[in-house]
Amino acid sequence: MTELTLPLRGLISRPLRTLLTVLGIALAVAGFVALTGLTAGVQHSFASGINENGADLVVSQRSAFNLVSSAVPKSLSSGLSAVPNVEAVSGILLNITTADDAANIVMAGWPSDSFLWKDMHLLAGRIPAPGDQWSVILGESIARALDKRVGDTVELQFQPYRIVGIASFSSVLNQNSAIVPLEGLQQLLSREDVFTLYEVRLKRPLDKNDIAVARTRLIAAAQGFEVGDTEQFSSSIRIFDLLRAIAQTISLVVMAMASVAVANTLLMAVNERTFEIGVLAALGWSPRRILRLILIEGVIMSAAGGVIGIILGVLTMEMAAKTNFAAGLIVPYLSGWSIAQALIFVFIAGPLGALYPAWRATRLLPADALRRI
Amino acid sequence: MSLLVELSNVGRDFDGGRIVAVDGVSLAIEDDETVAIVGRSGSGKSTILNLVCGLDRPTRGEVRFEGRAVNGRAAWAALRASRIGIVFQNFFLLQSLSARENIEVALLGNLGGARQRRVRALELLAHFGLAERATLRPAELSGGERQRLAIARALANRPKLLVADEPTGSLDVQTSQSVMSIIGNAHREFGTAVIVVTHDEDVAALCGRRVEISDGRIRSDNRMTAMPTPAPTLRIR
Ligand SMILES: Nc1ncnc2c1ncn2[C@@H]1O[C@H](COP(=O)(O)OP(=O)(O)O)[C@@H](O)[C@H]1O
Ligand SMILES: [Mg+2]
Repeated sequence: MTELTLPLRGLISRPLRTLLTVLGIALAVAGFVALTGLTAGVQHSFASGINENGADLVVSQRSAFNLVSSAVPKSLSSGLSAVPNVEAVSGILLNITTADDAANIVMAGWPSDSFLWKDMHLLAGRIPAPGDQWSVILGESIARALDKRVGDTVELQFQPYRIVGIASFSSVLNQNSAIVPLEGLQQLLSREDVFTLYEVRLKRPLDKNDIAVARTRLIAAAQGFEVGDTEQFSSSIRIFDLLRAIAQTISLVVMAMASVAVANTLLMAVNERTFEIGVLAALGWSPRRILRLILIEGVIMSAAGGVIGIILGVLTMEMAAKTNFAAGLIVPYLSGWSIAQALIFVFIAGPLGALYPAWRATRLLPADALRRI
Repeated sequence: MSLLVELSNVGRDFDGGRIVAVDGVSLAIEDDETVAIVGRSGSGKSTILNLVCGLDRPTRGEVRFEGRAVNGRAAWAALRASRIGIVFQNFFLLQSLSARENIEVALLGNLGGARQRRVRALELLAHFGLAERATLRPAELSGGERQRLAIARALANRPKLLVADEPTGSLDVQTSQSVMSIIGNAHREFGTAVIVVTHDEDVAALCGRRVEISDGRIRSDNRMTAMPTPAPTLRIR
């Protein structure tokens, strides 16, 4: 017999109530895990989408509000190209819009001479001919979702585009994107003099140190701008902070509800077990030990709920990412940190909910407790 | 021989003063005494006993244990964990625990490791003829076995004072005799002081002192010459 025996027996003796409370906690944790995982997923999906194009470093505006509001001037181009060890620089313009009013899509405008076209894996058709501004290459997934083939037309940013190619990508973001010639997109968006970002490709072979050196030099060539790898780029975009804040606020509310559930369950348990608590007090259990007894029950339920919740959250996240509105924009991404946060919560909310019932248990006069049989 | 418990002018009201359960009780008990508290039902015996072991709080007056005034739940709990053992009329065993665990629960505050507690609990069970019953739940024990278990639990921490509220109330004559002989043995061999609340004059006759309560007050307080020795049926180390 240890200090865990009684709490465990107590929980097992009320299986349904214990189960429901554990489920309540699990749902709260699942909500948190799914929300933060999906938010991080949006960010991560942009990073991996840009990374796939073969860029080693990205030059962008410092803390741009969102992906498409970043602006870097065209005039930087020559300076960046001149940095030693840089193989190629390509300014690109990004835009999020709807395709035929049916799906969310990322439009990427690439210069006709960009190195980016070279790595593209075409499934059908060809790349846009120079000077042909209103032709587009669709990612495989979005083409299938819209049921489009080479030769069809698709409306992007209120402009009909002719589909000249279908390409396959490894990142979900690119699979759901439309790649168009730069000049036409600049015209549509009235952003003739700026890019969203520069993608910089370095000379091969390449090691970590080369990237660091090149980065320092690029920073010097692009004073006042952000230079980093694709992950750093996407994490500097402020809208992702906003999404994260929203997710965290909702999670906090949900988790507070879980605390209340724990409190409610344990309050009922304490009331029911007044007599048992009286016997323990009569046997010399100190108020602190009795407090701990109830707290441990709260912690056990929270721990169980936490584990189930994380599993449930991952499943929810996977399902949500497969829905129409999210496909392509969100790739579930669960970091160790958000799992840690969920567990930290569980070990705060559980005991917090248990604290009041536990305190009540210690306030009982043993004689009163024992009279209630 | 020294003073163990001392009630000075203790009173206890209920219902905001409408019920005066105990009033003006002064009682000093030595550490080698056996005391029977007798009186009609509702006279205040249980309330006095509760005050003696800090399960209840006096409305008036003071309770001292080993010369010191005891205040607060934690201080009383510490005393019950190490120096006071309580046997209740209705056993008050925990139904979700086995016989062995019921004793271990009482040891939890005092005795370090789980292993030590288990050894001590098994020792006590063997001592009270319950070795075979260690894994059974209270509901699976006979009335006499439950009472022995309750006494074993009360003696688990080798208390200075054993307090029993009508320990024979629900037992047949033979079993209540054996219960009294166990308590008597505890007194003689542990040197445990004993306070027994009873309305059974045969039980009271076994004690060295007889305190009679009525209407919450002490009516009489008599010391006998010596405590008659019942034939020991079970020996206590
Ligand atoms: N918690 C309580 N609330 C109200 N009245 C109580 C309470 N405890 C005891 N009493 C009353 O106090 C008196 C003494 O009770 P008690 O000490 O249990 O008597 P005894 O043990 O001698 O039968 C009785 O009248 C009883 O009804
Ligand atoms: Mg009584």
